[in-house]
Amino acid sequence: MERLRTEGLTKQFPGVTALNDVNFELQEGEIHALVGENGAGKSTFVKILAGIFQPSAGKIFIENSEIKFASPKDAFAYIGVVHQERELVPFYSGICNLFLGQEITSSGFLNRRAMQQKALDFMRQYNLDLDMDTPVTNLGSGMQEMITILKVLFRSPKIVIFDEPTAPLSIKETDVLFRLIKDLKSKGTSIIYITHRLPEVFQLADRVSVLRNGEKVVTANVTDIAEQELIRFMIAKDINQQYPKAILPRGDEIMKVKFHDSDIKIQIHAQEIVGFAGLVGSGRSELAKKIVQGHKSESLNITLDNKAFKPSGPKFAIDHGIVMIPEDRRGEGLVPSFNVRENLSFSHLSFLSRFGFRDEKKISERCDSIIKDLGIKVYSQFQLVNTLSGGNQQKVSLGKWLDANAKIWIFDEPTQGIDVETKVEIYRIMERLAAQGAGIWFISSDLKELISISDKIYVMYQSKIVGEFMRPFEAEEILQTMLGIKNKEISEVTV
Amino acid sequence: MNVSKILTQFGTVIALIILFIIFAISVPGFVESNNLINILTQIALLTIISQGFTVVLIVGELDLSFANLASLTSVMVAGLIIHGVNPTLAILICLLGGIIFGVINGTLVTRIGIPSLITTLATGIVANGFIYMYTKGVSFYSGLPQGFLYLGRGRIGPIPVLVIIMLIYLAIFHIFVNRTVIGSNLKATGGNAKAAFIAGINVKFYKVLGLAICSFSAALAGILLTARLGAANPEGAGGFLMEGFAIVLLGQTVSAIGMASPIGTFIGALIIGVLNNGLTLMGAQYYMQDIVKGIIIILAVVISSIQTKRMGV
Repeated sequence: MERLRTEGLTKQFPGVTALNDVNFELQEGEIHALVGENGAGKSTFVKILAGIFQPSAGKIFIENSEIKFASPKDAFAYIGVVHQERELVPFYSGICNLFLGQEITSSGFLNRRAMQQKALDFMRQYNLDLDMDTPVTNLGSGMQEMITILKVLFRSPKIVIFDEPTAPLSIKETDVLFRLIKDLKSKGTSIIYITHRLPEVFQLADRVSVLRNGEKVVTANVTDIAEQELIRFMIAKDINQQYPKAILPRGDEIMKVKFHDSDIKIQIHAQEIVGFAGLVGSGRSELAKKIVQGHKSESLNITLDNKAFKPSGPKFAIDHGIVMIPEDRRGEGLVPSFNVRENLSFSHLSFLSRFGFRDEKKISERCDSIIKDLGIKVYSQFQLVNTLSGGNQQKVSLGKWLDANAKIWIFDEPTQGIDVETKVEIYRIMERLAAQGAGIWFISSDLKELISISDKIYVMYQSKIVGEFMRPFEAEEILQTMLGIKNKEISEVTV
Repeated sequence: MNVSKILTQFGTVIALIILFIIFAISVPGFVESNNLINILTQIALLTIISQGFTVVLIVGELDLSFANLASLTSVMVAGLIIHGVNPTLAILICLLGGIIFGVINGTLVTRIGIPSLITTLATGIVANGFIYMYTKGVSFYSGLPQGFLYLGRGRIGPIPVLVIIMLIYLAIFHIFVNRTVIGSNLKATGGNAKAAFIAGINVKFYKVLGLAICSFSAALAGILLTARLGAANPEGAGGFLMEGFAIVLLGQTVSAIGMASPIGTFIGALIIGVLNNGLTLMGAQYYMQDIVKGIIIILAVVISSIQTKRMGV
């Protein structure tokens, strides 16, 4: 019997279509895996089913009757979602978290014993033995995850969505989870299982669907499809012909990062754009932050211009010609209460001042030239940076370094949430910086853009550098490495 | 520009003007130059102490200790002078003590990571303890030299020295915050400490600096308070905490994006000063002032939260 069906589900954000015309269907007692690259639309899909987003178009049917979720509350009764982010009150025990908002009371007081009994009975149903009395903040991440799952199941939803549930789990806990999921299935619950770990798909699921660029490209029985085919479906067809890349002759080596006990070392040369691929959470940003903000571990050995470089904070890095454009533009790249002029200047005021007093004329001239140079769309320097589009904010965020003569530019997800036209402008800026002799450290979750504009790509997996790829790139091979399928063949490196 | 935009951008200044006009029409003697100078004299100490608190808000921290610190320097400067210390030296000792107090606040906040609200609540209590240790709860009445009292009571022509000190202090803060590199770095630190850090700004230093400037202002205000009253009592500056908060919050609404600023704080002080003075001249009971002030603070916060939402800051 059909449990859930979506017809033409579409979600548009300003400038981006996150989900496009998705027809998806889920049977009673089915485990349906959902896979796709970063940004393929999986999260958007889940958020619509959880009532967090409203679809721009399309319909949702549950047991053949159309249904509309105006808020997460409406979705609760039908669909339980185990999100990647945990939703537990840290200082409450498992019991208190379980009964949050639906506590059992007698004459106005909490009835602990009744709650405990009910929780025990409930756990017994699923053969689980969890620590429900310790404040969850004191439990391991695996146990927290299991309590989160229990909390979702407690509402007895007919459909449960798991969003990468095994990421924080140990092997033993993963076994427990798989047993639980199969148990749910045997009781008739339908399950949507989202994962980056393809072997899990074949281990667990009945069917699998692939999302790519917001569209569903295939649904198949897992017995009818091979891992290789699955990967091919995940990779966009036009991956190698997105953006015309100018190949520059490689300059001198600027930076080298060596890791303990490993052959793979990161090398960045002048005029080179070096891509960093990996799944979200694979440690790409963390590695870059170690270079810029300093680190305590001895596992990194960095040389800059053939001299040892010991990172000790952003100012030190900037003084040595390393600048970073952080992923979180609004949170780390910009001062939201400042206007464009201040945002372009605040890191450079010592050069734009006389005897400690701001030189407003110099500041104005410099801002004007950066705004013109990067084509930032503003009506004046004094426009608040908050009122700009994402692309223009990104240009301001990177623009402040434009005349800093940086040798290494670290871009962390520079095109995330930016419209297509501005994306291309950002690529051009990166290429121009490279042409001027800088080395570009380019972190992105979008494999397509990495492949189009990088000269070399390093792949990270679980905080390790696991692969190094040169042009011409094989998208399939890179994706396999990102997903951890091919890692065994490559020497693993601890960062 | 529509009406609501004008109101959120200039509402506070308009409110001051309207308030002024109402009192000018309805209260005899309000617009006389003597009374206007009086208003400025009444808000001088509040303005000075609140300039420091303004800078603390600019770096994104809080300070609950400044009023107690002002009381402490108020009794300390009196005690030192009465016990024979040269007045200039006594003033310098108190000012230096204020800076050290602020650096201790800042160090606890930035190095140990105690939130400034809690840090300064605690150090404020400690300051209060020192006051009673030093005074045994007794006020200092006599023995202050004329030269010292001149700071609080003297006049240059028709203008009180205190008002001149306030105006100079205000001008210095305005220039410091808006025209210097250090001022810009203070604003960047408060605007987004993470972004400032990544851009190479020493965020911790500027937080300490902000708290030290606040304590310096409090120490100065405490000294001037003693010079004005010709006496010092253990809780002399206690009222500055609430009033200081009030005018800085009011002052935040002066800027279009709801940020604290020296001039904004001065306008906040003017509103409170005009209100206090006008209501007193009208013969309103003293408790009316508190009720009106409380309501004004709530209005100010409502306006600035609307501004903040509008700007998405």
